[in-house]
Amino acid sequence: MVAILQAVFSGLALGGIYALVALGFNITHSTTKTLNFGQGELLAAGTVIAVSGVMLLAGKGMHGTLDPQDVTLWRYAVSLLISVVVLGLLGVLLYYTAVRPFIGLGGLSWVMSTLGFGIIIQNTALAIWGPSAMVIPSPLGDNVIRIGGAGVLPQEILVVAASVVVMLCLDTVMRKTKIGKAVRAVAHNKNAATLMGINVPAVVVLAFAISSSLAGLAGLLIAPITTASVFMGLSIALKAFSAAIVGGLNNARGCMLGGFLLGLVESMVGLWHAELREISIFMLIILVLVLKPEGLLGTRVAEKV
Amino acid sequence: MKGRAHLLGVAVVALAIAAAPFVTGNGFYLKVLFLIGVNYLAAAGLNVLVGHTGQKSLGHAGLFAVGAYTTALLTTRLGWNPWLAFVAAGVMAGLFGVLIALPALRVKGPALAMVTIGFGIVVEKVVSEWQDVFAGQQGIYGVLSPSWGGRAFGDREWVWFVGVLGLATHLMIRSLLRGKYGRAFMAVNTAEVAAESVGIGVYRSKVLAFVISAVTCGLAGALIAQQNQYISSDFITFNLSIFFLLIVLFGGSSVYGPLLGAIVLTLLDAFLARWPHVQHFTYGALLLFALYAMPNGLAGWIAGLSRRLFPALAKPAAVPPPDGAWRLRGAEILAAERPLLAARGLFKAYGGVVPTNNVDMELKTGHIHSLIGPNGAGKTTLLNILSGIVPPDRGSIEFNGTDIVGLAPNRIARLGLGRTFQNLKLFADMTVLDNVQVGLHRQMATGFLSALLGLPAAARAERHAAAEAAQILDFLGLGDKAHERAGSLPYGLQRRVELARALATHPRLLLLDEPAAGLNPQETRELVDVIAKIRDLGITVLLIEHHMDLVMAISDHVIVLDYGEKIAEGRPAEIQRDPRVIAAYLGADDPDPDAGDTRAPDAHIASATTHG
Repeated sequence: MVAILQAVFSGLALGGIYALVALGFNITHSTTKTLNFGQGELLAAGTVIAVSGVMLLAGKGMHGTLDPQDVTLWRYAVSLLISVVVLGLLGVLLYYTAVRPFIGLGGLSWVMSTLGFGIIIQNTALAIWGPSAMVIPSPLGDNVIRIGGAGVLPQEILVVAASVVVMLCLDTVMRKTKIGKAVRAVAHNKNAATLMGINVPAVVVLAFAISSSLAGLAGLLIAPITTASVFMGLSIALKAFSAAIVGGLNNARGCMLGGFLLGLVESMVGLWHAELREISIFMLIILVLVLKPEGLLGTRVAEKV
Repeated sequence: MKGRAHLLGVAVVALAIAAAPFVTGNGFYLKVLFLIGVNYLAAAGLNVLVGHTGQKSLGHAGLFAVGAYTTALLTTRLGWNPWLAFVAAGVMAGLFGVLIALPALRVKGPALAMVTIGFGIVVEKVVSEWQDVFAGQQGIYGVLSPSWGGRAFGDREWVWFVGVLGLATHLMIRSLLRGKYGRAFMAVNTAEVAAESVGIGVYRSKVLAFVISAVTCGLAGALIAQQNQYISSDFITFNLSIFFLLIVLFGGSSVYGPLLGAIVLTLLDAFLARWPHVQHFTYGALLLFALYAMPNGLAGWIAGLSRRLFPALAKPAAVPPPDGAWRLRGAEILAAERPLLAARGLFKAYGGVVPTNNVDMELKTGHIHSLIGPNGAGKTTLLNILSGIVPPDRGSIEFNGTDIVGLAPNRIARLGLGRTFQNLKLFADMTVLDNVQVGLHRQMATGFLSALLGLPAAARAERHAAAEAAQILDFLGLGDKAHERAGSLPYGLQRRVELARALATHPRLLLLDEPAAGLNPQETRELVDVIAKIRDLGITVLLIEHHMDLVMAISDHVIVLDYGEKIAEGRPAEIQRDPRVIAAYLGADDPDPDAGDTRAPDAHIASATTHG
């Protein structure tokens, strides 16, 4: 029983990460019908940048080791900010080099170009940081908190809290503000949005910046629980993509739901047979897509005949 | 490359492959040649799926694994003959191809990419985690390689073997893609609904394309396992799937694309392997910029270049002059004046909107029927129900003695119900002649094997189809446009090409959805004659149209819909006087039908030529 509760907590933390990245996929997909297949590499790059930021702030140089007392909350927050800004800029660069040339063309050329962008980012990061994993302690320490007998890491609570807050903010912005209305208008119909005086290119660039920043945020949140490395991104991004597809790529709330669902399934299956985690997740996704191709909360777009 | 030039090219390549192992004994070079062959094999099949059928797969490493592990397990555990195990690898991969195709049929775009990624990852995890059977990272040693005359294959024999396989694959896939199956794949790629409307089973075509790509990918895996005499889970990665897809996209969708892609990328892979960093950067840059610089891949770029340098080469083959006028097959079987289609109580609702509300209709053989009504009356929905694209919630449709409710659109099309679309659904990148030949798909008896092997019967059927397509184009006055790209024609002619494509299915009943929309007055007048000519062939016509002068001029019978309900039907003259019809079109302040002027409305309806 305690073990199940424990799995629920870590599943929620993992799910928060997937949900954040999935939300990033949703934002670019709803505005441009494209998404970044190199998101995992961006996530990893953002994370190692942030970890290096903490090291520099702690006066450890680029390649030191971090002790728990080096990671104070403000250092963590400042590097998070740096990583989010850098990734936002990378997102803009990604849009102009890999996405814009292919928007509106048939086929999925952008799948290949964004993959290529990711490979280049990954290899640049590899040249700077090398392949080994970097350990970063949690800014909240690792004194386990007991809830109903199950141990929870403070970082896990931070992950869930931060991701929920960010998602609530985004959801509110999208539904309540003028800029959110502009984004939704672009998502529905670019031409009509332009005619209404909305600066469509700006909205689209903003979408890519937010999407990449979310990946950076997710990376630094998970790093103290796992580790940070140049290769950490692929599996997170794949599962986040799965989460988005399962929840409904065109529905932001569906993406969040999918993220938490996947995180919970993963940690529950891990409790039972750790090696079956990936297999069961992807089998589940294939099953969901066969039964409901548009995702759990997605809406079917009918082709006009 | 046509005919002789192609044969010459194949002979030169065959000689080069035969001679290569004598020119160099260097094991590294021979291995690179072998790898080019393997990558070509995998890419050639994947090109059918990705380049022609338009289904992007990011999971073909999984199928590669199926082939590799099938030979590995069969030769090491069960002691199978290596040749048999090699064949079994292809068969097994083909079966898995069906498996991966089934979910892939339901989803498109990013979700399809997800399903294939998921498949690849599941296979990758199975072979790395299920140690008892697949031995994980440690791998399976002692995989048997085929032997010839008692001697196991050496470097030379492997080059020859893969060369023979590659040439055979090239010949078969070229023959397949140039025939009716190739056209069906392209049709599915550009417009699925239109492909169904001419009787092509979209599902079947996709499964077929998946299986073709799976078989060649599985054979590629078997080749690697047998040549190395070893396979481990390290071979099976997401990157391998991307590499295969990169070969196809970088090379281009022409039959020569995978070859060019395999040569360039294998060489790059082999010679940059010493600097993994540079290698990865190069891949990244290729993925990022290649499609931007060369949207149609290397093969497309070269073709474009040669067209510019030697314009003479680009001249299309001469159109065969049509011999005799086109005739509808089996038209005499249907007696005139009998009901051809009878629909009863058709009902369809989308939430609260009811576009089709208990509609009964009867279409008589040899007549021209028109379906009119204000915008939003449910005309197109009714057409979609009749052609099987939209399933009705209730009601029955009997067409030529068969109940067609619930049948797939392609089955209904095969029964003799053809249609055109309000929003044009042409195969825009194909020539006009090819568009019409797609329409002839079901008329050609060529079987899959016959098309794959390029048997004389298949070639003969192709010639007949081209000749018949030319006749149909001639019938519609499009004879001089045969070799133009359908998408490049003016709008009015595109509409006529769609009509030609629908006629090519030899329909008993032809549904025309606003054939005059967007036509100028001259073209509209011509259309009246064309529709009359079609009726004279023995084809029954159901027409949706807003041009009332056209409707009144040619219809034998008019059905009027409003808000999903049939409000009137009868001869054109009766309809023009019907007060309910006049009210539907012009609105009525006074519901009393007797209050209207009986002369004026004719002119009103005639001028109500809105476009919907």
